[in-house]
Parts: sequence; structure tokens; C-alpha cells
Amino acid sequence: MKKVINLTINGSPYEVEVEPNLTLNALLRDRLGLTGTKISCAEGECGVCTVLIDGKPMLSCSMLAVAANGTDIITIEGLAENGELHKIQKKFIELGAIQCGYCSPGMMLAVKALLDENPNPTRDDVKKAIGGNLCRCTGYVKIVDAALAAAKA
Amino acid sequence: MFRTLKPFEYLEPKSLEEATGALSKYGTEAKVYAAGVDLVPRMRRRVIQPKCIINIQNVEELDDVIAGNGDGVRIGTLASKRSIEISDIIKEKYFVLHEAIANIVSIQVKTQGTAVGNLCVATPASDVAPALYVLDAKLNVFGPSGQRLIPIDEFYLGVGKTVLEPNEIITEILLPAPAPNTGGAFKKLVRSAEDIAKVNAAASITMEKGVCKDVRIALGSVAPTVVRAKKAEEVLRGKKIDQKLIEKAAKVAADEVTPISDLRSTADYRKETSAVLVKRILAKAIERANG
Amino acid sequence: MTTEYKSVGNRIAQKDVVLKATGEGIYVPDVNLPGQLWGKVLHSPHAHANIKKIDKSKAEALPGVKCVITFDDTPKILYARSFRDQPLGPSKALQRSDEYILNDKCRYWGDAIAAVAAVDEETAEKAIGLIDVEYEVLPFVLDPRDAVKPGAPVIQDWCPNNIPVAGPCPPFIKKGDVKKGFEESDVVVEGTFFSMKQVICQLEPQSCVANVDTNGKITIYSPCQLAHPFRRELAKMFGVGSGMINVNSTAFVGGSFGCRLSCHNEPIAIMLSMVARKPVKLIYSKEEDFCNIDTRTPDYITAKLGLKKDGTLHALQVDTMAWASGYLSRAMLAGSITLVWGMGHYRCNNIDGSFKVVYTNTPLSGAMRGFGNPEVMWAVDQLLDEAAVKLGLDPVEVALKNAKKPGEASNMGGLPLESTYIDDCIKQGAEAIGWKEKHKKNKGGTATKKRGVGMSTMTHCSDGWPLLLAHSGAIIKFNEDGTINLICHPGSPGTHIWGSLSQVAAETIGIPVEDVHISGMQTDVTVFDLGSHASRSMFVTGNAVKIAAQKAKKELLDYAAKMMVEDPDDLEVDGREVYVKSNPPKRIPVREVAHEAIFGARGDGYTPAGVGCWNSTYSSPPTAAYFAEVEVDTETYEVKVLKFVTAMDCGKAINPMSVEGQCEGGIQNGLGAGLMENYVYNEKTGEPLSLNYTSYKMPGSLDMPDETQIIIIDKPDPKGPYGAKGVGEPALVGIAPAIGNAVYDAIGVRIYDQPITPEKIMKAIKEQKSK
Repeated sequence: MKKVINLTINGSPYEVEVEPNLTLNALLRDRLGLTGTKISCAEGECGVCTVLIDGKPMLSCSMLAVAANGTDIITIEGLAENGELHKIQKKFIELGAIQCGYCSPGMMLAVKALLDENPNPTRDDVKKAIGGNLCRCTGYVKIVDAALAAAKA
Repeated sequence: MFRTLKPFEYLEPKSLEEATGALSKYGTEAKVYAAGVDLVPRMRRRVIQPKCIINIQNVEELDDVIAGNGDGVRIGTLASKRSIEISDIIKEKYFVLHEAIANIVSIQVKTQGTAVGNLCVATPASDVAPALYVLDAKLNVFGPSGQRLIPIDEFYLGVGKTVLEPNEIITEILLPAPAPNTGGAFKKLVRSAEDIAKVNAAASITMEKGVCKDVRIALGSVAPTVVRAKKAEEVLRGKKIDQKLIEKAAKVAADEVTPISDLRSTADYRKETSAVLVKRILAKAIERANG
Repeated sequence: MTTEYKSVGNRIAQKDVVLKATGEGIYVPDVNLPGQLWGKVLHSPHAHANIKKIDKSKAEALPGVKCVITFDDTPKILYARSFRDQPLGPSKALQRSDEYILNDKCRYWGDAIAAVAAVDEETAEKAIGLIDVEYEVLPFVLDPRDAVKPGAPVIQDWCPNNIPVAGPCPPFIKKGDVKKGFEESDVVVEGTFFSMKQVICQLEPQSCVANVDTNGKITIYSPCQLAHPFRRELAKMFGVGSGMINVNSTAFVGGSFGCRLSCHNEPIAIMLSMVARKPVKLIYSKEEDFCNIDTRTPDYITAKLGLKKDGTLHALQVDTMAWASGYLSRAMLAGSITLVWGMGHYRCNNIDGSFKVVYTNTPLSGAMRGFGNPEVMWAVDQLLDEAAVKLGLDPVEVALKNAKKPGEASNMGGLPLESTYIDDCIKQGAEAIGWKEKHKKNKGGTATKKRGVGMSTMTHCSDGWPLLLAHSGAIIKFNEDGTINLICHPGSPGTHIWGSLSQVAAETIGIPVEDVHISGMQTDVTVFDLGSHASRSMFVTGNAVKIAAQKAKKELLDYAAKMMVEDPDDLEVDGREVYVKSNPPKRIPVREVAHEAIFGARGDGYTPAGVGCWNSTYSSPPTAAYFAEVEVDTETYEVKVLKFVTAMDCGKAINPMSVEGQCEGGIQNGLGAGLMENYVYNEKTGEPLSLNYTSYKMPGSLDMPDETQIIIIDKPDPKGPYGAKGVGEPALVGIAPAIGNAVYDAIGVRIYDQPITPEKIMKAIKEQKSK
């Protein structure tokens, strides 16, 4: 039986009717057209589907959409504000931290969660903050560089 | 092979009574949902196919608070692993629990998932469980017949099995006050940093003038449930501690485990490194007890 | 590093990357066509079984299901998902077509045997569960050593000994008398090494969207890296002309690394679309990625090296046995090319070998980054290290001694090496890791932590000529605003190739790189490009882009000459202006020339444009040296890589930031193969146990070395565009053997079977002690 949920996504209010067995990831991608949030392992191991829920990094693939009722969600589409890229996005672009780009949305949001909590992280802090985000392309090196550069920017 | 979940009934009870009532109705065909981080992937893999999901996030008697409780501490059912990890009181008085969670690498899994949820999955490789064992944790459980207190080392029956009745819910984790000059440590061995443990171990030791007043040693991933290495503890309890005694205790601990070979590791490796882990965490725990 | 170019050589951020950063970038799983259905595939739950009967009636009756297809519905045309059953240039080694789109026999656990198209994904998945299949389960075989034994289960009827392909050492590699060479050697080392089934682990699941319209035109959004050969293969499979198929590669691709050289679920999606008469979207789950698309081809590499006491490599023999799946996919090529890499890298006067590719009931094996080179160097470079140890020589000196020089016969067909700076790689890399202070010295080691350093070197290729077709083309056209569209088809493997090719185009014409728009990457629009493989896109497509750019520039300047009343040879482009070389103040905007050429009033209008095609008939392979410093815990046997240095000779680095990124990513891939990635099976049922990121671990951020250093030699190749050579695959080749050699330096133990795990080290040390 469908349920009506209310949530805020990237600053905009949404009221949607969802089946209980719809995951948050499927709600974002397939129902609301927010395809910036990606899907990969779909079982909480790769971090690709990371979104910020009330500011905290969580796995949209491993969450029911109905359980997101009343939450405030940021997806990658919400990182830039008024067309101005977030400093994390700028540094990721500038420093070559994005190759195929598939891990990047989740990765940048994990970095945002870190910088919101710890504005002055060490290299080690960054590596730990993205420990749950897999990347096959970059070796994580420029991702860490970009996160540190964003912290200083 | 599935990307979607099968349909189910979904309930959002507002009270413990409502929640356990629903659980009574559905029995083993219902699953409790606190975060989804274990549940949803298992549903996707069709390992479990519940007819009803009961979301306990809005149950008024449940909370995510970590706070003093008499001389000890209570941890609410809905407390995320991450909130426990960074809690000042946990870091200060129950460091082994902080360290165990710090060894769980995925920030998302820790932020989303609850410690109680982790216990209920009852995997022998839980990182949280061995730490709670050495802290003498008790679980406060609510069911239709009322409240009961279950010591953590009586909670597990086997792989995926606990003593919880299908209509019971854990309402909090209780940790007693640590004795003065107590130190704890946790370590795990993995294939990659973000991995289920091949072997993990926790220790808590209370020292007085170089003598071990009390000690707890627990190992995970080396048997169907967490192993309290009681014989190893006996080697140390009441004795003056030196490196030789630590190594002896570590060897005894390795004899108390019955690991298997699986895709993560071999029985031989797990047995041998159980001793190494115990040796190293005892040394660390003693350092912290004295420091 | 200084650059004399405006665009080439700069660490420029790429335009397409901005879209990836905002979430606007569309990947194939994000593509939605109006009215589309969702596809889902039924996979075999047996490693080897005949299909006796399929009852799809219950599935068909489920509301929302539009069609259910099985072997009966497929065109009875065998194909090869590697496309190598049709000629691709000079290679005479055509592969036999050995699979249908859906087969009537299961030859590996995960084999696709039926498919469904339904109104939504949930319905499609439910329908899969309603297809009743009656199997006759057959004995299976997982290991090729068992598959070649008499009496082993026959996997493909036409191939009773399970060896579809075998061959001797390629004639351009074979040299001298290897038997005599070993007799004359002062030290001989040998061993059989195992290079594991490395799963690609690209993050984007294998996905496609197919549409067959009423005219019979097939459109397929696909991540396939070889779009034009793919189109030709589809034409064969579906009995239509190539012009009736459009392979659309405009979507970004979330990682390829070689698995997308082959097609995977695309033919199934196309079939579903044909039958259901609607677009069909098909996204694999991660489990399907682990058992139903190509992985690296596992290989038993038996190598034997004979060295003289001064370190000269005097005899070299490599014999390989590659594991194909129940279908060849790309294993044939992976298996055979290992000899070219392994025996074509060092200078040696006595070389021989052989290869064998064997059918097994394991999931698909094909190409992964390096394509046989990481596999064979895992063996050769560890044996070279062993020989150096036995001779009491420094491995760095041995590598330098046996490294080829420019002009010597290269690995690729014996063509002369156009350039090699491997000496620089070895020397600079050794210095950067601190080789002299650390080799055999346990520097920084403690009672329980031993340290060591190890190295490896390699030569790869910048394309497959003369073994394979090496042809790419590009089109450039000016827009009236003075910008250009660069229409080319290297695919989008996520390697920054779009940006790098844009830099080449910009540099050639003289305009800023921001004025280059990569467009139209679909086979309806682009001229032939073999595609992204063999690290060729920079070298070959780059040269094609350069030619197209030169032609488009000429057409622009011819028109500018008319407008300015000047000799076109006296004109040049400087940023956004055309100026007169002999009179620089006289200049007009590029924009004005382009607009006039297109919209002007003279009656002689045209679009300044150019088509460029280039064939590589050269051997300009990249070379590299790799250095690892490790620390081994002598109680837990865990290996930690403290520092890794890759010294890369990829010619002129068009974008050094991209080159570094490739090398850093390569370290992740190679570290994984060397230390933790492991594909395992349930030996009783043949079911793979490595089906997700939980069971199969690849390195995360905390597993990478504490320190990585990438040294780009940056010396140009005479044939590459602005001197560039390939880099994508070289980034990975020598990582694992360097780590293996470092472990040996630390604890005197050498592990022959990937990955090097603490369990294997513990076992090896105990065996050593008991001897």
C-alpha cells in the first residue's frame, strides 16, 4: 500500500507517493529524475549512492524511501548554489580528481560531510572519510588532494 | 541478482507496545527496520523476504541517546555506530568500543547503522560485539511479557541466531562503570581496510601496581559466536603481568578458538594470528590502564 | 615541466568533467527513452548444464510483461562478443564464433539463458522468477589443467579437447635456440605463476538502452569501447546492414578497463526491443557484473629465464595456459598476446614459447587493462629478480642491461622501436624510491616489521599494429562562432581522452581548448575509429585529430586569405584571431572568418572542415619502470605498501594531470591484483563466491600506499601527436611484480600465485623453515 511522504531535496519540498519497497535511491533516480545520484553495488559496499541526510552521509541504496519521510536531503545536484559550483566541485575538477566520474557524486558528498564536521582535516582524516567510497580510476590520490585543497579554499 | 525489493507490509508504530504487538502478529515473517543498512541489502539478495517491515525510528520509548546511567552508561537503540564512536563519554571510559567502531571504515555504514542493529544481525564477525563482551554489556529487552536484561555473552546462540524472541525489541545497551585503571583495546585483521574481519579481538584489563586485577578477552570471526577466552583470562587474573605471561595468555586464547577456512581466510591463519592479536591488544590495554 | 605549446602539455581541467561534477552528466543507466520497458536476464544456476525445457508461460502471463525470449527466439547466427570473428586488419587469427545471443546450453554459472521485458523493473524481476527451466546438470570443470585432461567434460561440442586455440611463439618474437641458450646460461630460473581472474570492478553496472524502430533501425546506447566493430558484429548477428545500426556512445561511461571492449547485454536488449517493439533498458546488478561480463583472463604462466653472470638475459621461454570461459569472448587474444609482451620486452637472443587457451566452466574471461602484460610480467619480472638474487646482482642494473634501445625490434611485430626512454624510467624511479639505501637493507625495519624494495619494468604498445588494425578517423568542423566540433569516436572510457584530444585539436589549429566541443559520438555520425583499446586513443585517434584539424585549419585560412587579400601560407591562428605572419598587427577574429565562410554574401560559402584518418604502422610503445617499498609484519604476515613510484615514458604528456591520474589509478588496480583481489568458487557446485564488493575486495583509500610518486619522463616520440604515446594500460602493468619483488626483498619469500596474501606468506615461511 502506497504511502505519502514529505521530504526536502536540495532545498525544495517534495510530496510523493511511494510503495514501501522503493529504495531512496530508486525514488531519486527513477521517480524524481535526479540521476546525479548513481547506483552501483546496491548493497551498501561501494558508497557510490551516498547522499546527505540531515547533513549526514548515508547510502541511498540501503534505505527505504518511506523512511526518508521528514528528512532534508542533499544530492550532488544540490551542491552548487545558484549556478555557482561548490568549492569541493571546483577543486575536484581543477585537480583531476574526476576520471570516469561515476564515484564522484558520492565521493564529493562524503567529502562535504567531512568538511562540515572538520574544516581542517589531515590527509589521513580525508582517507578515512572516503574509506567507504570505492574508486577504480583515480587511486584516490587526487581525490584526497582536492578535498584538502577545498578545505583550504 | 536483484535490483528491486519484493513488496511487503510497512508499519511505523509509535510505541513499544504497538511495535511488539505487530511483531507478535507477524512473528518471524516481520523484520525490524532501524536504518536499513543491513536489512535492505539482504532483502535485495533475497536472503530474507519479510512480509512486514516495522520501522522503529518513531517509537517514542526508543532514542539515540548515549548518556550516563548511574555510574555506567546507556546507549539508546537508535544510536548510530558513528555517534557511539565519537561520543566523549565512550572515548573517555569505554575506549575499546570507540576503537572497535573506528575500525569499521565506511563512514556511511557507521552513520546510518545502529549498534543494536549490528548485534541483532548476529554475524560472528561483528566488530561491535567483542567490545561489548569485554565491557560486560547488558541488553535491555522489551517484549509482551515485559522487560528483561540479557548479558551480552548470553545473547548469541549461533550464526544469525540470538535469544531474542521474534516479538522482542532491544531498548538499550547498558555498560557498567569501568573500574579505575582499566584500559581496553581492539584490533582486527582484514583483506582490505573496509572489510569484514578475518579475526577480531577485544580486551579490557584492570591493573593495580603491575598486577592484573581483572581481565576480559573476546574474539570474533573464529567461532559461530564471539568467544570469551576465559582460560586465557585465568592465566592473567591476579598475576603480575610481564611479556612472557601475555604471550602465554595469547597462546591459550588461540587454543580456545575454532576458526574455519572461508573466502576471507584459512583456519590455520586465524588460529595463529588470534594469538598475535591478543598479545598486541593486551599490551595496548595495559598501557592504557596504566596511563 | 615547461611546455612550448599553448594547449598541449598543460594541466587543463576537462569540460566534460564539469558535467560529471554536477551530476548533469548522463551515463547509460541514466538514459531513458519514452515508452521504454525494463529488461532483465535469467542466468544459469549451474556451471554446466543442458537446457531440456523452458516453460515461459507463467512469466508471459504476468501483467506488465511484454515478452519473454529464449534460445528459440534468437537469430541462429553464432557470434563472438569480442568481434574478432571478422577481419580486423592484418591479423590472420580470426576467432571462431561460438555463442548465440541466448544459448541452449549453460556453459558457466551465470550464463544468460532467457530474458524478459516488462513495464517496470520490479515486474521484470518477478517474471524472471516465474520462468521454469528444466536442466540436465552436467559435470563441470573449473581449472584448465583439468579441462585438458582426457575424459574432461566437453564444453563446446566442436572442441572435444577443450582447447579452441593454441599456438607457438609468434615468428617475430622467436629467436635463436632457446635450448642451447639455457645450456649456455650461468643461472637458470623457472616457475609457473598464476595471474588471477581480476574482476574489472568498474563502478557503473553494465547497462544499455536499445531501440529498434518501425524502419528496423537499431539504436543502442552502449558503453562498448569498440563502437564501429561492434556495429559490424551486430549487423552480422541481426542480418541487417551496418547503416541500419547506430551505436550511440554519447553517454559517459563509468569505467571500462577493458570489459567493455566486448558487448555483453546489448544483443539481449536489442532482441527484447525487436520482439516487444518498444525501447528496452537493461541494467545489470553488481552480481551480474561479477559473473556475466568479461574479467581479466586468468593465466598459468610458465616462464624460464637463463642469464649470464654479468646479468645478460640469454634465454627466455614463456608458455601460457589461459582460462577461457565456456565461450571464448576475448580470452583468445588475452591468452596469445601475453607472449608478445613477455618475450618482446627485454633484449634476448634466444626466445621461444607457446600459448594455449582452454575452455572451462568459469564466467567470462576477456581483457582487462594491460591485456596479458600484467599477467606475464608477474612471472617474468619476478623470475628476473630471482635470477639477479642468485647472481648477486642489483636488479636495477640487470633491468638496464637488458632494456632495448630505440631502433631495436619491438614487441609489436618486430617493428623498430620509434622511441624508448626506459633507461630514464629505471634510473629516475630507482632514485625516487631510494633504491640504493633500501634494497637488501631492511631500512626502517623493526623486530616484527621487515622492509624491502622491488622493481619491475615493461613495454606495452600505443596500438596493435601490425597484429591488429590500427586505424582511426576524426572530423572537425567550424561553427560560425569560431569554435569547432570535434567528432571522433574513441568512446568514453573515463580516461580524460576527450579533453586530451581537444588539446591536440586546439594546439593544431591555434584556438583555445575551450573552443573545442566534442560532439556526435555515435556511429551514424563518426568516421571509423577502431575504438579505445591497446592504449591507442592518444596515439592513433590523436594523430587523426591532428590531421583533421590541419585540414579544417587550411579551409579556414583559405577563406581568411580571400577576406584579407593575403597569401594563405602567410596566415596563422593565434588564439581567437587570424593574423598575417609577415605583418602581425593585421588580424581578424576567427569567428568573423567562420561566419563569413558559412553565412557570407560572396556566393562561395562552405563550412571549414576536415576529415582526418590515420593508420599507425609504427611501433611507439610506452615503457615504464615501477618501484615498490613494502613493510611486512612478521607476525600477522600483512603486507603494507609504504611507497610506490611509477616512472612513465608515454612520450610527451598531452595533459600531465591526466597521465598522473592514470598512473595513480593503475597503482590501485595493480595493488589489488597483487595483494587482495581473489576470485573464488564453490568447488562442489562451480558457483562463483566472488559476486560483490563484499566477497571480492578491491583497494579502498586506506589500502593505497602512504606515498605515491609519478615521474613523467615527458620526452617526445617521433610519431605520436605532439610526441604522445599511450598510457592507459602501462599505468598498471608492473605494479604487482614490483610488490612481489619487494616482499621477497623484505622477507625472502616469493609467492607465485596472485594475490600475495598473509595466509600464503605464513604457509610459505613455515614450509621454508621446515626444509
